Amino acid sequence: MTSLLELHNLTKAFFGIAAVKDVSLSINAGETLGLIGQNGAGKSTLVNIVGGVVHSDSGHMTLSEQPYTPRIPADAQHAGVAFIHQELNLFTNLTIAENIFISNFPRMGVLRTIDRAKIKALTGELLASVGLDIPSDTYVERISPGERQLVEIAKALYQDASLIIFDEPTTSLTARETERLFAIMGQLRAQGKAIVYISHILGDVQKLSDQIAVMRDGELVACEPASALTIKRMISLMVGRSIEQLYPKRTTSPTTDPLLTAKNISASGIVEDISFTLHKGEVLGLFGLMGSGRTELARMIFGADQFESGEIVVEGELVRKPSPRSSIHNKIAFVTENRREEGLLMSIDIANNISLVSLPEFARSMLQVIDQRQMFDSARETANTLQLKSGDIRQQPVKSLSGGNQQKVVIAKWLLSRPSIFIMDEPTRGIDVGAKYEIYTIIDRLAAEGSGVLIISSELEELIGMCDRILVMSRGEIYGEFTREQFQDERILRAAFREQDLPMMSVHDGQAKRD
Amino acid sequence: MQKQPFNVFRFFLNNSTIFLFIAVFIIFGLSSPRTAIGDTGIDFPRFWLPENILNIIKQAAVFAGIIGVGMTFVLLTAGIDLSVGSNMYLSVVCAGLLMRSSGLEIVPALFVSLLVGTLYGAFNAFCIVRLKIIPFMTTLATLVVGRGLGTALTSSQQIDFPERMNAFGQTMVFGVIPMPIVVFVLVVLAAWFILTQTQFGRQVYAVGNDIDVAKKAGINTDRNLAMVYIISGFCAGLAGFVLASQLGGRVDRSFGETREFDAIAAAVLGGTSLFGGVGNVFGTVIGAMLIQMVGIGLQFNLVNLYLQPMARAFIIFLAIFFDSLREANYKKLKRRFIRPVHSASSEARAADAGD
Amino acid sequence: MSILDDRLSSAHALSQRQATKPRSGSPIRRAIQDFLLSDYFVLYLTLFFFITAAIFFPSLRNPGNIANQLQNMWPLLAVAIGQTFVLILGGIDLSVGATMGITSVVGAIVMAQTLDPSFFDRSPLWGTLMRPEGGVLAGSEWAVPVGVVVMLVTGTLIGFLNGYAITRFNLAPFMVTLVTSTFFAAFALWLTQSRNISGLPEAFLNLGKGDILSIYLGPKLTSDIARRDILSFITYPFVISVGLAFISQFLLSRTVFGRQMFSIGTNRRASEISGVPGKSVITRVYMFSGFCAAVASIMYSGRIGFGQPSLGGGNLLLDVIGAAVIGGTSLFGGKGSVRGTFFGVAFFVLLSNILNAMQLSPFVIDAVKGVIILLAALIDITRTRLINREQRV
Repeated sequence: MTSLLELHNLTKAFFGIAAVKDVSLSINAGETLGLIGQNGAGKSTLVNIVGGVVHSDSGHMTLSEQPYTPRIPADAQHAGVAFIHQELNLFTNLTIAENIFISNFPRMGVLRTIDRAKIKALTGELLASVGLDIPSDTYVERISPGERQLVEIAKALYQDASLIIFDEPTTSLTARETERLFAIMGQLRAQGKAIVYISHILGDVQKLSDQIAVMRDGELVACEPASALTIKRMISLMVGRSIEQLYPKRTTSPTTDPLLTAKNISASGIVEDISFTLHKGEVLGLFGLMGSGRTELARMIFGADQFESGEIVVEGELVRKPSPRSSIHNKIAFVTENRREEGLLMSIDIANNISLVSLPEFARSMLQVIDQRQMFDSARETANTLQLKSGDIRQQPVKSLSGGNQQKVVIAKWLLSRPSIFIMDEPTRGIDVGAKYEIYTIIDRLAAEGSGVLIISSELEELIGMCDRILVMSRGEIYGEFTREQFQDERILRAAFREQDLPMMSVHDGQAKRD
Repeated sequence: MQKQPFNVFRFFLNNSTIFLFIAVFIIFGLSSPRTAIGDTGIDFPRFWLPENILNIIKQAAVFAGIIGVGMTFVLLTAGIDLSVGSNMYLSVVCAGLLMRSSGLEIVPALFVSLLVGTLYGAFNAFCIVRLKIIPFMTTLATLVVGRGLGTALTSSQQIDFPERMNAFGQTMVFGVIPMPIVVFVLVVLAAWFILTQTQFGRQVYAVGNDIDVAKKAGINTDRNLAMVYIISGFCAGLAGFVLASQLGGRVDRSFGETREFDAIAAAVLGGTSLFGGVGNVFGTVIGAMLIQMVGIGLQFNLVNLYLQPMARAFIIFLAIFFDSLREANYKKLKRRFIRPVHSASSEARAADAGD
Repeated sequence: MSILDDRLSSAHALSQRQATKPRSGSPIRRAIQDFLLSDYFVLYLTLFFFITAAIFFPSLRNPGNIANQLQNMWPLLAVAIGQTFVLILGGIDLSVGATMGITSVVGAIVMAQTLDPSFFDRSPLWGTLMRPEGGVLAGSEWAVPVGVVVMLVTGTLIGFLNGYAITRFNLAPFMVTLVTSTFFAAFALWLTQSRNISGLPEAFLNLGKGDILSIYLGPKLTSDIARRDILSFITYPFVISVGLAFISQFLLSRTVFGRQMFSIGTNRRASEISGVPGKSVITRVYMFSGFCAAVASIMYSGRIGFGQPSLGGGNLLLDVIGAAVIGGTSLFGGKGSVRGTFFGVAFFVLLSNILNAMQLSPFVIDAVKGVIILLAALIDITRTRLINREQRV
């Protein structure tokens, strides 16, 4: 078997800090290479070099035994390397067919007009081969994230790629779509295409890959046949030590004092008649499949979105129309599911991010002058409590931190306002194993100090590991409640699926469902 | 992708500019002075007479329409071209000076105007694409530079074109249609063709939707961006020449001033988004006509000259106001329904959780 | 195999050569980079231009000229500070010019001591607020204080209209302020039928040009010094604008309002989730911009001596936005400082001065100004690129 792509001693540093260190690797045609590692381990930089997005400082590559030096992404495409990014790269204002052909339409006539009939026929074939039954002239803004992913794959097929890189492709997919994606990956492999598959879901990686490459701190620490690696060993290779325990042991048990009570919350078409209570010292999980309404519910409770009827009682006080400001006043914190868009001021320094919620508390006099010293001291103290790894918090912009440390900044921002209720939407999404453990420890400590924590997650395992109680949402309703003794993957999943989709259920599928 | 039940409010909102257009047309018609038609004895509003309607279209073409079409290209890429007014002036000044000094005929003079306009656009493109100066700053600066150059060339004097320029302006195609309308129709059709039927046109939409994605998709974004400013410059050169011919061949140093705002307003009224990726040329045509109709309608109703810009500002405000309502409504529609809505019919029933 | 080895070793050698090369180039390049990245870069650039030009054009060196240029800076600085705030927020205020025009007219209508019927008898206010014997408070001792307050309130109100329309209906700032600009420019012309209103009280004129401290350069020879030899140094506009600058800088860097402005300019959604009252902050910033435009209008009107409907017309907007951007304010929000804007304003004023000294026609001056703005923007791009390279991770 000849190797399709060879990487020789690739090194890439961003201002002194090596992101990729002397990595050599080869991939054969018809083979799937799993690429794993913690966030910041260099996976993305490595595949970005292959995809022509960044250029290596040293080292070289060969593709089909020819020297391969992609200057821009288009070079990689022409050479037969397709890159399916985590965030989808489609134009929502164009049709599926236009998206596939955008860089090179088939054209006809003296005026070089787009050959609509031809692209329709070609797109039809491509969509059929990825199992997508949608008219080719549908606008991309009208199709679901999973369908968009399949369109991306169809595009890669059209470009006749010999190597397809998948970077975290399942984060936005439903279980059914994930299954379909895996089936298509199998077909591609059978056709002799090489695949690089990057994912945090190690079970998937093990199932799909022939070889698994593990990266840590920019270096390739192992590249072994998938059959030779257990998940436990993958984790210990990734973190450089063995983690026996993925979740810290809970130190306290919840009280029965109610902190926050939601009563009959409804918003037509989204959630219906939701009631529950969060107690002091309790970690309450909210589990549901994509589109079950869990994120929407969390946003309504915090006041980021409106509900139509129902009420919320916070520590005995009735709140009819919550807003972020009233919630902050009521000592509620809300860690949103997307850090970048709703959590952080990426280009601004860490200290100012941490103090954002509590700014009014540092204000002195009528002019609202900020007590700078106190502000920075408090910010630094909170950052230290969370063991934030950073340079000078007054200088370093948040965008230069790793995902896990960014999430710590979000949590620090809320901690500083000393809330008694924490709503956390996907608090560990996209962060690595080590950082996850630290976040879990923080959650346990918050509960131990008497706060109530509501965790929304699509990783059932995480909820089972951390929560005292789990509520299951399905189609906008609460469809089940489980206490610790009742925790059992299968029962919870069955509630989430309303027992309709039984054949698809397994722990693994549950993990794959995210929105 | 489910069918939405028909909703009057939504229908109105989605076509707000057209409704505004019709409303303005009717109101000005009813309030305008009347005139008897021939010897039928019927009093007919002068505003609705065919010659007035032709006049509206003609003025829409020369004042905001042609440059509005160029502006539509630019706005589709999320850019902006503030220099079109100055470009109109500089282009026509160059053509006019050559006509006067070396007796250039109309057609070569038109080519000079087009060439200068295109080069002006190319200079914008160079600054934006090569030097990477943001479009707002670039075109704000070239707005000043262009007018300064034009005024320096003419020593700030008015240029009087030879008589043949005026004659050219009064040309009727097929004996009935004023020349500017024909030019406008040709420009609009060409722009429609380019935007919808060619690879370049579709890529313009792609660049406006997300330029980073466009780069990753292997689109030559630099070339596309450069092209839209060149097209806008070309349109300005053309519009400048045609407008000068309509003004009796007299071009003074305020020629074309603030036209860029009319062009932007025409495009935005026509549904083009300032944020790129959304819009089409036919909307711009409606927008340009609406702006001109308001101006002419106010004149018909003998409104104080000073109040006209205020009325125009009000109309533009209404347009962006409706545009924002439309956007808000659109967002509401895009909201994912995750469970059936009780009151609505089964048609409105959303797809289930797995969609 | 050996070929591959060769290739590998040559690649290795290449990588080693690259590795030993210092990252930031030669010391000279390093020095240039430091210079470009300095906060005072624009100031150095301005001084460099001015001193170079002063060598060739002696009139620039004349102390009278320098004093004059200082006085030119103050009104522009006031309006540019307001624009800086709006830009930090990620918005833009195109209506500052029209706001200056209408406030100038409104102030004059309050204060004017006589009004010529042949000019104003077609004004809609003729006979009510505008009479042959002057404006509303003609001759009253309250005329100037009330006039000034009315001007400030008018400017702030227009800012409020902008802010309200932008936040309440989610309209694009660019379009909203364009509309208010068109509207109020026309409104000012309508009220005055395009005429300037003269006959403003002496006390008001002082706000535009009154001296507090003047300087005389020269020997103590004569008992009376010719007026033209006395150089204005500290004037009312100086005090007003510098005061405004200090207050603004303080607001920006030391108060909750200032931090919240930056946070909204950086990411409005994240800020609002974190409890920043977005709509209120945005509205207040536009009000502040209107207020600053009114302050500038007071100084300009006092200086020229009449209420002028076209006061903020011409290329003023270009100067204002240009000064802010050259001073390092980003058009994308989240970045900017009063100090930078001050340097930017100095740059623009001295640039005009140099070009005037070269005796170029006003049109050529405009053209050159445009080119300079392009160059300045280009330098800004280069700086940003350098900074980004430093910070990139």
